Amino acid sequence: MKSYRFVRFLSNFGVYFVLTFFAFVMLFPFLYMLSTSFKIPADTFRYPPRMLPRDPVTIQVEGYEEPLPLYFVEVDGVSKEYALAKSNIKVGVYAPADDQTNTVERFISEVKPTGGVMNQQKVTINGEEVKLFDVEVNGQVIPMILVSQTTVGEFIDPQNPESEPIFQNVRLSEPVENISWHPENYTEVIELNNLGRALTNTTLVTVLVVIGQLVTSVFGGYAFARLRFPGRDTVFVFYLGTIMIPFVMLIVPLYQLMVLIGWTDRLASLIIPWIFTAYGTFLMRQHFITFPKEIEEAALLDGASRFAILKDIIIPASVPALATQATFTFLYAWNSFIWPLVIINVGNEKNHVLTLALNVLRGRASDTPNLILAGAAIAIVPPLIVFILGQRFFVESVAGSGVKG
Amino acid sequence: MTAQSRIDAQTNLILRIQIVWRGLVALLSAISIGLIWLRMMEMPLWQKILLSIVGGLVVVISSYGAYQILKRSHSGRMVSLVLDYLGFVVCFVFALNVGEFFIGIDALGENFGKGIPYLGITALGYFLGMLEEYFPVKNKNEESSLKSVSKWVMLGGFVLFLWQVNALNGIIYFLGKLTQPSGLIAVTGLVIFGMSLWSLSRPNVAHALNVKTGHEQIINGWLFLSPNLLGFLIFFAGPLLLSFYFSFTDSDAIRTPNWLGFDNYSKILNIKFSRLDSPDQLARDVVDIKVYDEVGRFTLGNTGILFAAADKFFWLALRNTLTFVLFAVPLSVIPALLLSNILNSKLPGMKFYRAVYFMPSIAAVVGISLVWQWLYNATIGYINYFITLGIEFWNNLFNVAVVDPKIQWVSDENTALFAIIIIAAWQTMGFNTVLFLAGLQNIPGELYEAATVDGAGAWDKFWGITLPMLAPTTFYVVSTTTIQAMQVFEQVFILMNPPEGPNNSTITLVLYLYRSGFQNFQQGYASAIAWVLFIVIFGLTLIQFQRQRRSSIYES
Repeated sequence: MKSYRFVRFLSNFGVYFVLTFFAFVMLFPFLYMLSTSFKIPADTFRYPPRMLPRDPVTIQVEGYEEPLPLYFVEVDGVSKEYALAKSNIKVGVYAPADDQTNTVERFISEVKPTGGVMNQQKVTINGEEVKLFDVEVNGQVIPMILVSQTTVGEFIDPQNPESEPIFQNVRLSEPVENISWHPENYTEVIELNNLGRALTNTTLVTVLVVIGQLVTSVFGGYAFARLRFPGRDTVFVFYLGTIMIPFVMLIVPLYQLMVLIGWTDRLASLIIPWIFTAYGTFLMRQHFITFPKEIEEAALLDGASRFAILKDIIIPASVPALATQATFTFLYAWNSFIWPLVIINVGNEKNHVLTLALNVLRGRASDTPNLILAGAAIAIVPPLIVFILGQRFFVESVAGSGVKG
Repeated sequence: MTAQSRIDAQTNLILRIQIVWRGLVALLSAISIGLIWLRMMEMPLWQKILLSIVGGLVVVISSYGAYQILKRSHSGRMVSLVLDYLGFVVCFVFALNVGEFFIGIDALGENFGKGIPYLGITALGYFLGMLEEYFPVKNKNEESSLKSVSKWVMLGGFVLFLWQVNALNGIIYFLGKLTQPSGLIAVTGLVIFGMSLWSLSRPNVAHALNVKTGHEQIINGWLFLSPNLLGFLIFFAGPLLLSFYFSFTDSDAIRTPNWLGFDNYSKILNIKFSRLDSPDQLARDVVDIKVYDEVGRFTLGNTGILFAAADKFFWLALRNTLTFVLFAVPLSVIPALLLSNILNSKLPGMKFYRAVYFMPSIAAVVGISLVWQWLYNATIGYINYFITLGIEFWNNLFNVAVVDPKIQWVSDENTALFAIIIIAAWQTMGFNTVLFLAGLQNIPGELYEAATVDGAGAWDKFWGITLPMLAPTTFYVVSTTTIQAMQVFEQVFILMNPPEGPNNSTITLVLYLYRSGFQNFQQGYASAIAWVLFIVIFGLTLIQFQRQRRSSIYES
């Protein structure tokens, strides 16, 4: 009995392990997007990458106007936080001409050329003339050649600025950082990169498309499901046949139609053609057909009009189906890209929707991934919120479409 | 005779006016056809022909309606209702257009941002009303107060919203435009057609024209369907036919298109296979390079075969698209099948995982592609970082020295398409999981119980029960994923710079269609590509359908 339990525990553990692994894979790009959108640009280019956004810490040191960045510096074998007072100090690596492995490091500014600036002495190594410098080693001046150069920074103790400074390479030193979030990336991308206008345009387009499509598909679906009239079935078969036709088939003629009407570059072109869909009508019809007929017939006998039946009886009972279709349409309208790309001019930023603005931002801010990903988050998060609110309806109905199909 | 004698004077008058009105409509449209042709109005020939056909139809139908009303037949009423309704709709759209309603949406976009908070108030009011369902109040009075509060909040929010977006100015502007001559014509039309519709819908008139019980459903049916059907014809069916026509022309969206016959299609499909004497023989030795471009070559020992095409980009795009489908579909379907089987266990927390898996499929592809672009970055991206970590771990564990490949994901022609495949698989996997899960939950549990009694193991059950019972779902999942994958565009367009990728390695059919139609403005050619794409998609779906049907025949 005990071993059976253990096996079950193991198998459950395996199940959750696999599920959690995939959940991590699914969630990771979103987490990365959110964390990067709160970073400063320098932090986004750091390797190895880190999840939490961090800022370098600075400190105000007596005698310096600007606050100085803090670094971890090793002093007498102990790691301490020192401030970088001066960077880009040139250091030369010098060695005697006959023994180039025996090197010493000196500040270039403190080393004088052998024989003076005007008349510098040289030695010939491998047929090349190399300049000689006077380098002092243990109080002794030795002529040496310059083997290589680096730059170092001057680090001082912020508590005691007068004490002996430490010199070491700045790039190899680890800066002191603290975790800090930069929500101002979002305001910057909204105000400076047109994402604010794009966001309101997208919202406007989406709201109108959702409302318009619900209205036309409710009426159309009701007519298909409940009213008997000659030609109904022919039209319905026609509708069904077009569901499989991909949108890209229409992109060229629809573009020319918009040119003809004069709607290119207009938000109307993103709204009006999208409020009539065969698929939405089909879904509504499938829903209405399950609605019990008896209630309707009773209402008809009482003298109610078809419109009143639809408004007072059927629609209130169909809120879940309507919510599902609204969510579908919302996602479709919010995320659409190729049609806006074709119909709205790149230069006409007033009428850009989010996807278009992101496309522009991608080229414009390629050196600031934090801004690009803040823009991506603005486009991605609202649908996620809608999804979380309407999750119950939405996932169930997607599942339903698969079973019926 | 007795029924007619009972018709009162008023109805009689209406019927007479209707007959005159129908005659007038027929006459007016006949005159306007004449005007179109005689006065040589400035419009393209096809528009003249189209308008004449429409006008001619109106003349015929309207006269027929007048005659039927004279005969007191109900079909006269039907015909008149249809004509007047269409006239009403045309005038309505015309009035909206004259009032710059459609163009005015742009102006609404300008102020809409300010109004959103007030729309939020409206939504809040709605939820307040919904609250009542969750907290039923015993006292009748309180119940109604909550509802009325919700109503007032909604109304107030909406009025504030209208005020914020300058709706009043918009309405004044709209009405001002309507006072122009064309606006007045539209409004007059609206009034006349509206009055005619109203008079025909009166019960007395309907009765006088011998209305029957079924007629109400016919009228309502077409009326309810009409907004959808009209929009569908104008924005879907019409353009579809137009696309077919364009694919035989050299349309460029500006000039009048010239008829080309099958030229577009024959250019797309013009390919040539030639034998090569050696695998690296130059293409110009074996084909006419004025016509053909090399697409690819296959080596066969010491010789080879050269594949050349008149339009090499189309064939490269087809190759890439099919490769994409071949990998992206299994990569998003097979893990989905596995995950759905795990999620189907009745352990706690499965709904949470289901929701998490679903998230990628609802996010904007454009946004997602931007995120992956940085994940794929060869020097600072997380994907290469994880690979490096994995290799380090592996090397330390087994004391070997596997070299870190440092893959240049999007700038290497060998991995670029694969990078796109991974994104697509990642994004559709969760959606497919939910579909499979629903299919699994529809399989009756008794089947599994019976199999357990027969001593079948978990693996046998999966192959023997789950897969066959899941066949319809699998067909649906595979075909929708394939249809979607055939249209891959956005990921490529965003992720690749230039979009066709290094050495054309990520040019896809839709991308090529976009490039031909909207960068080179060869819209006729683009339409032909669209139809070829459609035929490929249709063919793939048909093959899957056949396979599914055959496998279900085996089952039964």
